[in-house]
Amino acid sequence: MEETILEVAAQDLEQEILEVVKEASIDAAVNEAESSKELAAPVKVSVELLDKLMNLVSEMVLARNRLLSFARTSGDLAFNNTVRRIDTVTLELQERMMKTRMQPISQVWSKFPRLVRDIAQDCGKKVELVQIGAETELDRTLLEGIRDPLVHIIRNSVDHGIEQPADRLAKGKPELGTVKLRAFHENGMVVIEIADDGAGINIPLVRQKAIQLGLVTAERASKLTERELIDFIYLPGFSTKAEVTSLSGRGVGMDVVRTNIQEIGGTVDIATSAQGTRLRLSIPLTLAIMPAVFVRSKQQSYAIPQVNVIEMLRYEPREGVPGVENFYGVPVFRLRDKLIPLVFLNYELKVDDVRPPTDEPLNIVIVQAAGIRFGLVVDEVLYMQEVVVKSVGPLLKGTPVYSGSTILGNGRVALIFDINAIAVRSGIIAKLADNQFEQDISAVLGANSESQQMLMFDLLGLERMVIPLETVDRLEMIAASRIDRRGNEAVVLYGNKIMRLISLAHYVEGATQKSLYGDETVPVIVHYHHDQPVGFIVKKVHNIVNVPTQVVMVSPPQRGIMGSVIVNDTVMSILNVQEVLNMSGLGPQHDAGISGAEFVDSDVITMDREDK
Amino acid sequence: MNRSGSYATFFVGDFFFGIPIAIGVEVTKGQEVTPVPLGPKEVAGFFNLRGQIVTAINMRVRLGLPTVDHGSDALSIFFQDQDHLFALLVDRVGDFTEVTENTFEETPSNLDPNARELIVGVHKLADKLLLVLDTHKIVSGIDLVQS
Repeated sequence: MEETILEVAAQDLEQEILEVVKEASIDAAVNEAESSKELAAPVKVSVELLDKLMNLVSEMVLARNRLLSFARTSGDLAFNNTVRRIDTVTLELQERMMKTRMQPISQVWSKFPRLVRDIAQDCGKKVELVQIGAETELDRTLLEGIRDPLVHIIRNSVDHGIEQPADRLAKGKPELGTVKLRAFHENGMVVIEIADDGAGINIPLVRQKAIQLGLVTAERASKLTERELIDFIYLPGFSTKAEVTSLSGRGVGMDVVRTNIQEIGGTVDIATSAQGTRLRLSIPLTLAIMPAVFVRSKQQSYAIPQVNVIEMLRYEPREGVPGVENFYGVPVFRLRDKLIPLVFLNYELKVDDVRPPTDEPLNIVIVQAAGIRFGLVVDEVLYMQEVVVKSVGPLLKGTPVYSGSTILGNGRVALIFDINAIAVRSGIIAKLADNQFEQDISAVLGANSESQQMLMFDLLGLERMVIPLETVDRLEMIAASRIDRRGNEAVVLYGNKIMRLISLAHYVEGATQKSLYGDETVPVIVHYHHDQPVGFIVKKVHNIVNVPTQVVMVSPPQRGIMGSVIVNDTVMSILNVQEVLNMSGLGPQHDAGISGAEFVDSDVITMDREDK
Repeated sequence: MNRSGSYATFFVGDFFFGIPIAIGVEVTKGQEVTPVPLGPKEVAGFFNLRGQIVTAINMRVRLGLPTVDHGSDALSIFFQDQDHLFALLVDRVGDFTEVTENTFEETPSNLDPNARELIVGVHKLADKLLLVLDTHKIVSGIDLVQS
């Protein structure tokens, strides 16, 4: 009897709970409907407010960094968990905040169909404008910067590029010319392509015009490559048009286009043939954050935008090797048999009165700016970091050497160099132009010099890492659910062996760690260490690339990274396999596991499921 | 510029200056200033105030006085001019002082010419003269191009 009562009571209770749950879910549904209604009505927020919020978020990131360093030394678990929570929230806050600055490129493009129609009508042509990727997003300050260059390029395409309808038919092209605008993301940049199917750039005419204007001797002009000849069209006052129209032909244009694009940290590339011309603008996603290389001059650190940096090296004078030489008053230096002019930073900034003696080791950052490559001699190369760019204010208008400033992790301000201005200021450009300085730029890249094959991969927060291919045995995809633990180690059954797994993000400075969940599969690079398989967990594996072998980084203080190389204009970091193995307790002198005690905290993968 | 109201006061050399607190004054000490090689000589450098970049102006240089090294004890008085934050590095900070129109007088002609161009007038206080600075002129008068 008693039992039934209990049972009934239990049923009642169950019923009650069910009802409460039901109500709660109805409430939730109503709430959801309400919140989506709110979302539908956009709110106007002033740009100043957004900028202020952005500032506060950057400040919070700095405060977070300091908190993290406390957490590392503290043994308090509850405190550490709280700090980790703050860390993730701050990161997300920063990402969301950056998103508020982004706007689709269609904002600028929307006026172009009319522009094309008007110009085409004026010159009696039939032109169609095709837009692809108008939804591609870009920082709003950059949108302003690309508007004028794009207008100019489109004018050029329609006015100079596309032929008259009769000519087009004669060439077998459709009467209707096409100008194609395409925008997409690539390697963290926004690429905008403007392609027309017109006549292309008249290279012989450019050559003739260059000789006519006295820019180059006839003999030399005949030796120039097509690419070098195309470079002439960037010069102010250069135009191949015989007549000036109301639209174009005055020779002011491409130089302005290039200057404008370079000002926002972008590059311009032209490809042309009789089938048409394609301009390719590569623009950073945002001006607010950019990767930079930090260098030291005396007691101060300065940032060099990474787009300017080609490679970093340390030069040590040796017997019988010519070191720094003199070329018409310009100090030069031989790098893989090519001459690189040198600029001494301390001397240029007037913090040193004399250039250092040339028989001492030099730390050189090879940079590219203002059309030349040169070596900037610094006291030390420090590290690479993404920086939040801030203005230097009105009082440095007369000091073009700095393009901005940024706040470092320790709260201090560091200045960001404008490499173009440094090149101009140092006077090497003028001196080199007077003396026909020949510097085989294509060879500097080392495309055909000795190279080594490496595998490119990404870590979370750190893209474009490479690992020497000879250290890679194979690639695997491993489900997180297959991963077991052996003491502090994460292991997986691999064939008939047990493979130790190492989360590379843990040992490489700059990468972000992430917990794994049961249903995820992760790419693993398998490396054999003393006949035992070791798996490096990465975020994504790319392709195999050819990397110049002779590149050495000056002082790589970054944990887990051996140095950096430049491949196809992008900087890649070489993984220091030995260092990672040492750090994870697999050093050459130890048996696996012996030195593990030092790394008790650094367990390989945190299978922490609350941390979602 | 209002002639009466509250002033933040400070000393540079023998001068006793005041700027209206309405401009937005804050005083800090011990900021690490990042110097600017090749920049105008009056600009001592930059520092960070809660995520904003502040241009620090060395008042001694600005007034043509011999410089002294304040080290990390440098005191800065902040103000905003045209959307940018500036800080004046000064020798010593005085009190906030309330003054009325009655004590105001135009700039005396025998004042040091370096200081005269920067001030709008003086307040005759009981024990000394308070020179009222024109903060905008401090900034705008700096020669941007370094010879």
